[in-house]
Amino acid sequence: MLYDVRLELHYDYEGFVHGDRHLVRVAPASIPGVQRVIASSIAFDPEPDIQTNFTDFFGNLVTTIAYAGYHDRLDVRLSARVGVDDSAPPADLSPDLAALQRELGALWSLDGNSPHHFLAASPRVPLSRAITDYARQSLGRTTSVRAAAMDLCLAIHRDFAYDRKSTNVDTTPLEAFQLRRGVCQDFVHVMIAGLRGVGIPAAYVSGFLRTIPPRGKPRLEGADAMHAWVRAWCGQHAGWVEFDPTNAMLAGSDHITIGHGRDYSDISPIVGVLRTSGRHETKQSVDVVRVE
Amino acid sequence: MDKRTQRQVPKPPGDSGLLAGYRLLPGIPDEMIDPAGTVRPGWTELLAGFDELGPDGLNARFERADQYLRDAGVFYRKYDGAAGKERAWPLAHVPLIIGEADWQHITAGLVQRAELLERVVADIYGGNQLVARGMLPPELIAQNPEFLRPLVGLAPASGHYLHFCAFELGRGPDGGWWVLGDRTQAPSGAGFALENRVATTRALSDIYARLNVHRLAGFFRDFRDSLNAAARHADGRVGILTPGQHNETYFEHAYIARYLGFMLLEGEDLVVEDGQMMVRTVAGLQPVSVLWRRMDSSFTDPLELRVDSRIGTPGMVEAIRQGSLSMVNAIGSGILETRALAAFLPRLSQALLGTPLHLPGIATWWCGQDAERRHVLDNFERMMVGPAFSTTLAIEDREHTMLGAALEPAARDALRQRLLDDGGRFTGQEPVTLSTAPVYVEGRLQPRPITLRVYAARTARGWTIMPGGFARVGSSLDTTAITMQRGGQAADVWVVSSTPVERVSLLPQAGEKLRRQSVGNLPSRAADNLIWLGRYAERCEATVRILRAYNARLAEVSNPDLPLLADTRLYLDGIDIDATEPLPQGLLGALDSAVHSAGQIRDRFSPDGWLALADLRKTARNFASRVQPGDDATRAMTVLLRKLAGFSGLVHENMYRFAGWRFLETGRRLERGIQMAGITRWLTREDAPDGALDMLLEIGDSVMTHRRRYNVAAGANSYIDLLVLDPLNPRSVLFQIAELREQIEKLPGGIADGQLSPAARAVLELHTELLVAEPDDMSSDRLAALGSGIARLAGLLADAYFV
Repeated sequence: MLYDVRLELHYDYEGFVHGDRHLVRVAPASIPGVQRVIASSIAFDPEPDIQTNFTDFFGNLVTTIAYAGYHDRLDVRLSARVGVDDSAPPADLSPDLAALQRELGALWSLDGNSPHHFLAASPRVPLSRAITDYARQSLGRTTSVRAAAMDLCLAIHRDFAYDRKSTNVDTTPLEAFQLRRGVCQDFVHVMIAGLRGVGIPAAYVSGFLRTIPPRGKPRLEGADAMHAWVRAWCGQHAGWVEFDPTNAMLAGSDHITIGHGRDYSDISPIVGVLRTSGRHETKQSVDVVRVE
Repeated sequence: MDKRTQRQVPKPPGDSGLLAGYRLLPGIPDEMIDPAGTVRPGWTELLAGFDELGPDGLNARFERADQYLRDAGVFYRKYDGAAGKERAWPLAHVPLIIGEADWQHITAGLVQRAELLERVVADIYGGNQLVARGMLPPELIAQNPEFLRPLVGLAPASGHYLHFCAFELGRGPDGGWWVLGDRTQAPSGAGFALENRVATTRALSDIYARLNVHRLAGFFRDFRDSLNAAARHADGRVGILTPGQHNETYFEHAYIARYLGFMLLEGEDLVVEDGQMMVRTVAGLQPVSVLWRRMDSSFTDPLELRVDSRIGTPGMVEAIRQGSLSMVNAIGSGILETRALAAFLPRLSQALLGTPLHLPGIATWWCGQDAERRHVLDNFERMMVGPAFSTTLAIEDREHTMLGAALEPAARDALRQRLLDDGGRFTGQEPVTLSTAPVYVEGRLQPRPITLRVYAARTARGWTIMPGGFARVGSSLDTTAITMQRGGQAADVWVVSSTPVERVSLLPQAGEKLRRQSVGNLPSRAADNLIWLGRYAERCEATVRILRAYNARLAEVSNPDLPLLADTRLYLDGIDIDATEPLPQGLLGALDSAVHSAGQIRDRFSPDGWLALADLRKTARNFASRVQPGDDATRAMTVLLRKLAGFSGLVHENMYRFAGWRFLETGRRLERGIQMAGITRWLTREDAPDGALDMLLEIGDSVMTHRRRYNVAAGANSYIDLLVLDPLNPRSVLFQIAELREQIEKLPGGIADGQLSPAARAVLELHTELLVAEPDDMSSDRLAALGSGIARLAGLLADAYFV
């Protein structure tokens, strides 16, 4: 499936800022077996004084920008053409939970893809007994890790209301869990906390959804903005499998990945340090068009 | 330990009673007395010296050491509640003496250990072969909060991760030294070791001279030279990166910066430009290529590390990525302090160095492995069980680390269960026993447990070990009471040789080229603080002068409703001073602000100046609780005025006349100009009450001059002439402007290529205007404009130097 993705982030600062520096993570990366980036470009307005690129620990593409002078807004524009693998998900090859722990114990690797990075609490996802208990209950009697993760994915979709007004970007997983409401970011954080709580490595995936649904299918939630879903490690053979708790499905050919991290803090679209006490306003727009 | 039988030292040397009651504890080695009961070499001389001095002499000597520490302003910050208080440095006066042979063993062990740690951290942030080869469990790294992923794969610019480490040592029951912990994050205390040495040798100079004690200065000189060499190589300078004055060991950061001649920098002093770390100075951005980091790794960059850090520099990691900045030690090195890592070091030493550890660590088992966990559970009673990822030494961690046997049955069961459920989060360690060494308590020496902190520095010739360090001495026989936060003390460590030792100092050696540091590197923040220190000190003085004049009149008439008094209260109210308070809160606030500004630049002025300021504040606070209005307050203000003059004198007479002094002086002149223009305008206005002009003269300290210069009463004009337009009166506004002009023109960029900076232009205009003005011209409006003209100068200076 070939997509043209356009993203615009618009920040309006209250008053002028200067000497600011930002890390931008919005450009999709090529991921073997998942997607291939054919073309990608990113533009900033105003033009930054410094702009450099690097690839972070998890393999995400990062652009650093810095401004010496004064400006009162920042526009980020991304356009990319991405080919997404659209083969059907493979059969469930994942082991049971106990075997998963043995497989983890035999995995002596620390590269950015290693599940070891995604088991412990992370900056935005503390482990919580309440969420772990919830995850345990939702697992039921399923035997495979992938089925267990899907159970939790479905449970969150069933029990939580999609509500843009109830949470914000700083809401903690436990707050969202207690509210049983939120947006994709909240559902993902809750699901990650639950999976890690029961010993399944889980990561946060940031990306886009196609905005125009195929004929006869409903439009997916979150399609007009950046989206997030979960990546869970389901053993040596199954590897990483992606779950979208917002839409109760495996991530598939409708999902275009930017990158992943332990939680939102590792892959947030823009991290900035501003020398200002003022607030700022954010707008974003996303357009994903199927090319063929 | 105290429950076991104790043994009297068989033969107390000397007859002064110093050793009466000094007991060896069974199974515990003592640093002073060997197991046979004989006093060890080195200590004999010390005890003989103590005997000669006698109790009174000894007390006087120890008092000399304490006096030195007070005068030098040595303090540490004790955390007890939100803010933490400055505490006097708790010096244990008796030095710990260690023989050279013993010390060589320590040195060899620590050089080996530093090298091992370097290899381990280089692998963790580099190739990760130790995990791939199964020598380090991946979860120990991946779940470690000190594993900082943005640093993975970034080779250190200097070629090394570690440059300065500290090691905590203890002597075990078998008499050998054990490593209790490695400090690689941001080791503290080297500066305190120096101050311990100075204080102890002040007290015991004659004994010190009799023994061949290894000097410390050579260690610092070598390290300073290697940092400077690295910086010169990279065309930048060396800075010490401090979290700021609220840090526990800020005193030491400032002290080391002064001692070694490095810039003391906070995160906000730094900015990354084109991948290069720069310091904001009053002469613009200047490159920094080596930072001696005294801030925990994760706080150094709010962009790529902890987003909630308010003390870091955005882009710090980018500068490392670009290879333009060397960190001492590399960001992320703190991972080596992880307690559970100690379990793996013996094997890693074999694997990486091909040799066993010369100095053993405390036996440690990480419960993330089945066999190790079983061992800990099987020996639970005699295990110190604690968090695997803790970087606190087990002996300091009373809150989270406990001896199995000391737990209540319920707590024991709960902890055992947690080990079974989540073993990877726990370690078991053998409990530590420490040797004892003497402290002086009420005329006698008594044994206390000690640990030893030793420092290693990387130089061009490899690792060198400071011949000394400091010992921590417990406040009781309980080994957990050894930290200063719990009442422990610090003692100097004398490494004693049987032959004469080399004498070294930091001064240039014969034949060494004298190198004068380049100028213009005053960080902007320091300059800002200097201006404000000058302003607040002057604001205090102006306020005290007005309050003194006010209270003197109040004492005379005892009628607060007198028009002049009511009028003065109104003026003071306008500058946030409530004159009905004998010592107004507003004045105390200005003093606090002066102390706060001074506290941020302690590396830039003398300990004497700092103590004078601290004393001033103490006196003012003391007055605030007891001074009565009128006569009493007048006297109090006179005392404060004298102390203010003392502070100003110390600072101005002793400060090197360079950019720092110029900013301080500029602050003082700005404030005096503004205050004098303000009070003159108020008291010379047409409807000012009777006595206003006399009071103005008194406030302006110009009573006698006025009497001498103007023999006929000339109305308000003579007062304005003297206090505003007189170029020779050091209190006149014109005098302040002339001084300001002199300073501002000499500041960096003040006059460049014949061009005046905006501030230089503005001060020139003000100066010219006043030079040609006549007293008649100085209407109330002109005086008001004059005040705001001076205030505008402050704004122009801030724009030019502090943004």
